[in-house]
Amino acid sequence: MMQKLWQEKLKLNYSKSVFDIVQFGSSVIEGENPRDLDIAVIFHKIPLKEQLEQAQIIKKQLQKLIEIPIHVSSFDLYSLFESSNFAKENILFYGKSLVSKDYFAKKFGFSPRIQIFYSLKDLKKKDKIRFNYMLNGRKGEYGLLREYKGRLLCPGLIEVFPEHREIFVNSIKKITNSFKIINTLS
Amino acid sequence: MEITKEEILTKTAEEYFHSGEDEFKRERHNSAVVLYFKSLVSLIDLFILQNTGNTPSSHTERFRITQENFPEIYDLLDKDFPFYQNSYFQIMSKELAEVVKNDAEIMAGKTEIEL
Repeated sequence: MMQKLWQEKLKLNYSKSVFDIVQFGSSVIEGENPRDLDIAVIFHKIPLKEQLEQAQIIKKQLQKLIEIPIHVSSFDLYSLFESSNFAKENILFYGKSLVSKDYFAKKFGFSPRIQIFYSLKDLKKKDKIRFNYMLNGRKGEYGLLREYKGRLLCPGLIEVFPEHREIFVNSIKKITNSFKIINTLS
Repeated sequence: MEITKEEILTKTAEEYFHSGEDEFKRERHNSAVVLYFKSLVSLIDLFILQNTGNTPSSHTERFRITQENFPEIYDLLDKDFPFYQNSYFQIMSKELAEVVKNDAEIMAGKTEIEL
């Protein structure tokens, strides 16, 4: 199940060299069953040796709170954006700050969202109705949009939170494969 | 005469460390990190051997033994292991190579090995 560590009231001890502590990876995705939890500790510019030692101290504190193994990566604001950091898109787009309790991207003034463009053009009428029920609900039951606070921007386009991507995609796939996904920072 | 576990671990630790030095001088930092880390692991196994009479047979066992008995050494291992794991797809820096080298030297001190 999703590990909502960023929503917990954590009493973590860390130095002023820490810019942020970010949970990312499969543990922040609704509907996933993570075997481990990824944490990125982002530092201001300090020597790597100190980064690694401080990250270990934070890891120990976090590991006491959950049972699955924690993997900690440390970065400074330069190495985070280096091309060799394959995790940067995941950290920036899906990452949740354990400090601000919000998307890490918000530190840079961005709100991450997923836009799903879909077409019902070639569907049978009954499948169009199924699709509508799936998004909007029926007979007093919540649809996915209301349940996960997604939005219908216009016919054929919905916008959802990054952590709900799999929920929406898997549900849409049951009815149609005619859709396209775009990650946006707005 | 049969070579002892202690002699094997000492030899491998020294060999990996010196190979790490060669790669470091050539600015091949990924290779240097891997070799320094291998040296570090040999030295950790040597330390475990010196203190318990046994050696771990896998990374999992090495982590377990150090976590339970030598937390300071576990911290070194746990800190540096991800870089070893990621070395085939991440670019390793000179600074990182120096950190792992320093950790190998710390373990050499604890095991009284001259690298």
